[in-house]
This record gives sequence, structure tokens and C-alpha cells, in this order.
Amino acid sequence: MKNVLIALMMGWAALGAYDAAHLKKTLEEKECVGCDLRGADLRNIDFSGGDLSRSDLSGADLSNSIFVMCSFDDANLSRAKALGAIFWKGSMERADLSHMQAKGANFKGTHLNRADLSHADLRETKSWKANFTEAKLFQTDFRGAELGDAKFIRNDLRTAKLKNALLWQTRFSESVMSKAQCSTAKREEAILDANVTCR
Amino acid sequence: MKIVWLWLSAYAIAWAGTIQNDEAFKSAVASMGKTDKLVLMIYTADDCPECAYMKKKVFLDKGVAGYLNANFVIVEKNVHKGKLPEDFDYFGIPTMFFIDKAGNKKETLIGSQRPEPFAKELHRIRGMK
Repeated sequence: MKNVLIALMMGWAALGAYDAAHLKKTLEEKECVGCDLRGADLRNIDFSGGDLSRSDLSGADLSNSIFVMCSFDDANLSRAKALGAIFWKGSMERADLSHMQAKGANFKGTHLNRADLSHADLRETKSWKANFTEAKLFQTDFRGAELGDAKFIRNDLRTAKLKNALLWQTRFSESVMSKAQCSTAKREEAILDANVTCR
Repeated sequence: MKIVWLWLSAYAIAWAGTIQNDEAFKSAVASMGKTDKLVLMIYTADDCPECAYMKKKVFLDKGVAGYLNANFVIVEKNVHKGKLPEDFDYFGIPTMFFIDKAGNKKETLIGSQRPEPFAKELHRIRGMK
């Protein structure tokens, strides 16, 4: 019991263990490449045009902040909170977004190529024209999300939740989907190429 | 000099592009005749899938189309082509402005909506005084 408590306390400490100088730089310059921002409070701030690539934002709270055309390439946003945040036309290539809570966030035109979105909560997001090429989508929750004209290329979507997702003109290519997902996508007028496997 | 300045100011105001001076708006109002419809002015762009979704799916949806056509006249403006009326700025595309015959902005909706919530919004806006 004591060991469990110590482990929990250590975990809690690690969550909020950001580097104060890095946080100051981020808030002042909107730019901090490769910085330690674990568990940082970044809510309700405009970071448009900023660069946080390769930074560790795991467990950070980005809710309701604006990251228009911001770069998060190779960043770690695992378990971060980003409710209602705006990532419009940003770049999150190869970023770790696993277990991220981003309900209602805006990913319009965002590049998420090769990002890890396992267990991410993307319910009711606006993700028109987002690019999910080769993204890891294990149990990603897209329920109620707007994915019109988004690109899914070389994805395994079988465990992803797509109930009530808007899939109008969504492009699926070289991907694996469940039969139910395929029929929903076709009904929604998504574009499935010949290399999509429905099983 | 003062007279020239006043004349130039008056000229600028006359040609400032208010909604009342907007040709598309004027022709929409003219098309209403005596009916009490509202103008739905939608801002679009060529590379805007959400705009296409609204125009090709939502406006034509069976739960929307009848009420929309009975109560609204649609005016489309491509934000990259031609001048936009004053006091009708936008943050995102599509933006939909609901305007009465006199040119008063009654409501603004930003972004696309699915047919069912959009139909509800149309009823709400139509019921606004």
C-alpha cells in the first residue's frame, strides 16, 4: 500500500514537473522547441503561429487556447487536455497525442501525419480537411466529429469509434476498416478507394 | 478646400459598400416581393469543403430545404472575389449572416452545421423579433 502511494505521488509530481524557464519562454515568445512543459497550465492563451515542436507537453492543460498554424511536430501531448482548443491549420506530425482529451477542439486542416492518437478523445471535434495519413488510431474516439474532406491514408481504423461522425467527402485510402465502418462511410458519401479493406 | 473634403467624404460614404448598396442584397430583397423573408448571406471560398457541404447537402436536405426556401433568400459571396459589405466581417468560412429587408443583421452563424441543428437554428432565427 505504501509503495502504491509513493508511486502515485511520484507520478503526480512528474505530471506537473515542467521547467519554469521553459514555461516563461513559451508564454512570452510563443516559441519553445524541445522544451519541458509537462503538466503546464496553458489554458485560454493565443499561441497562434507559435512553435512547440519536440516539446514535452504530456499532461498539460491547453483547453480553450488558440494554436492557429502552430507547430507541434514530434511533440509529446500524451494525456494532455485540450477541450475546445483551436489547432486550425497546425502541424502535429509524428506527435504523441495518445490519451489526449480534446473534445470539441478544432483540427481543421491540421497535419496529423504519423501522429499517435491511440485512446485520444476527439469527440465532436471539427476536423475538416485534417490529414491523418499513417496516424495510429487505436481506440481513437471520433464520435460526433466532423471529418469532412479529411484524409485517412494507410490507417487501421477498426477499433476507432466513428459513430455519428460526419464523413462527407472524407477520403479513405489503403486503410483497414470494419464492415460497419465501411457501410457508414459509404452512406455518408465518403470516398473509399479500391485499396480499402473492409473486414 | 473644406467643401471639396465634404464632397469627397459624401462620395466615399455613398460608395462605401454598405449592405443596402450591395447589388446581390438588393436583388434578393427585390425577389421577395411583399413576402417577409430574411436574406441568408453566406460567405464562401473556392477551397472550402464546409461551404460545399452546406450548399450541396444541408441546404438541399429534405428537413431543411422547404423551410429555407419559404423563409429565406440565399445570397452567396466568395470572400476572395469582389468586395464584401461593410460591417459584415468574418472570422471563419463559412459564415452565414441573417439580414432583414432593411439591412439589419439579425444573427450570425460561423461554420458548418448538420441538417437537423441547422433547421432548428433557422426556426429560431425566423422567430426572432
